[in-house]
Amino acid sequence: MNNASDNVYALANLTKRYPKKYRPANDDISFTVEAGEIFGLLGDNGAGKSTLVKQMANLVRPSSGSVKLFGTPVEEDPMLVPRFVGYMPQSGRTLNSLTVAEAIYFTAHLRGLSRREALTERERLLHVWQLEESRDQLSSRLSGGQQRLLQLAVAMAGQPPVLILDEPTNELAPQRRRHVWETLRAENQELGTTIIFITHDAIEAEKIIQRVGIMREGRLVALGKLQILKGQVDQQLRLEIRFPPDTPPVVPADFSRVELSPGHWLIRLDRRQVETILAVLNQSQLEDFQLKSATLEDLYLRYNK
Amino acid sequence: MKKRSPHPLYIQLYDLFLIELCNWRWGWRNLILTGTVLPIFGMILLGSFARELGAEALSYVLVGNLVMALLFEHKGKLISHFSYMKAAGSLDYFATLPVSKFLLILAAFAAFFLLFLPSLLVTLLGGAWLLGLHILPHPLAVLVVPLCALPLAGLGALLGVSFRTPEEAMATGRLLTIVMLATGPVFIPPDRLPDWLVWLGFCSPATYAASALRQVLLGPITQRLLLDVAALAAFVVLSFWVVDRLMEWREN
Repeated sequence: MNNASDNVYALANLTKRYPKKYRPANDDISFTVEAGEIFGLLGDNGAGKSTLVKQMANLVRPSSGSVKLFGTPVEEDPMLVPRFVGYMPQSGRTLNSLTVAEAIYFTAHLRGLSRREALTERERLLHVWQLEESRDQLSSRLSGGQQRLLQLAVAMAGQPPVLILDEPTNELAPQRRRHVWETLRAENQELGTTIIFITHDAIEAEKIIQRVGIMREGRLVALGKLQILKGQVDQQLRLEIRFPPDTPPVVPADFSRVELSPGHWLIRLDRRQVETILAVLNQSQLEDFQLKSATLEDLYLRYNK
Repeated sequence: MKKRSPHPLYIQLYDLFLIELCNWRWGWRNLILTGTVLPIFGMILLGSFARELGAEALSYVLVGNLVMALLFEHKGKLISHFSYMKAAGSLDYFATLPVSKFLLILAAFAAFFLLFLPSLLVTLLGGAWLLGLHILPHPLAVLVVPLCALPLAGLGALLGVSFRTPEEAMATGRLLTIVMLATGPVFIPPDRLPDWLVWLGFCSPATYAASALRQVLLGPITQRLLLDVAALAAFVVLSFWVVDRLMEWREN
């Protein structure tokens, strides 16, 4: 195995075409993921993110191009991905006949831990993912959110050096989402785990993402370190205002606003427009307002217009 | 970087077997229905016709229903299990673990076979009682009974993952069952079948399974058992070879 570079994954000109589809699911995608990196993939539904990570997990064969893991093409050695990568699929129904504790234990043991180590790992992950109370419950009887946490525990079982997570915070309440990101960051910092994930939860994910790739219609339209990419939108600000729903404030027509919920708007503006809008808004009419710099979500929206 | 080697094959098989055995939690009602109730009703129905034809015809009814339960219901369970695993993403889960495809199929076969055994025993005893037949089990039954279930196990897994939906896979499996059961002396004695159908039956594992089961459960054991066991073993090897060549669970 070639470990000369720090690249965990190296994708080159990866293209995946499905029969009877007018455009490729992935079109000429190239990037690398370095050891110990947290890499986030963002994109609209149908942008080709899941197909991409399935190719990285050697579950889907590319039409052309290559996926190398630690310098070796994944298709050359069928045991390469299973030995180094913990994969979490989008579906939460994969282990329906097992209890929570069994699913974690068997996965850890099959990944090469001894029986004693697998038992210890099971207890660690039950604790980390706050699943102790559900340990003897069948995974099919868990709530959607708990199934998601179990999938995360199973992907992490045996402490593989690379994690590929397909929408790890789907179906989770905000508090649990935060817990997921904090736990993943701790796993990355304490064990040096390389984490690659897909998410729609751009605002929360921003706290841990180091490098980001944004996909649109099968192509990678943006790739780079988060801070550098955010430089493209750093002139933008987000103004969030809250007000009684029956008395909306007057906002000039040239400001685009998005209704996040009744009585809660998001207004995107340039820095030079701040004074204008604050002068126009009747602040006594507002319950709350927050002015923030641009986020990963703004970046994502910029590339998905 | 943590680098662990996969466990030896027997440990992988044991773990996979235990995982697959947990399917009793959802499948036991279904197993009782398809493994006991359907064959028993089949025997009551066919037995009412065969009674006039004598003990030999009744033995074909008993053994034919056992073959149906052992070979085809078992295959049907594996089809539905693997097609569900594909649809639910479980196959992706196993494919990303350091385990072999062959061991997963073998573990699923062994687990479902074990779950099927009580039904099979009830069907055998209940059927013999209903049809008024005496069972004379030979010790070779311990070898022959699992061997009868194996030839279509690999095929069940292959069909399960080859179709887009579980419904398509199950329908194809049922069609195959009907063709194989109707081909050769499985339910009906050979002297009551046209010659061409008897000859065609030599291509079907069900023919050999029925013959072998008849000998080890009702007696007498003849040299034909050697041919039956050899043919069944050949079908097992062929079935797993085909699965190994055609069933792609990684990079599929």
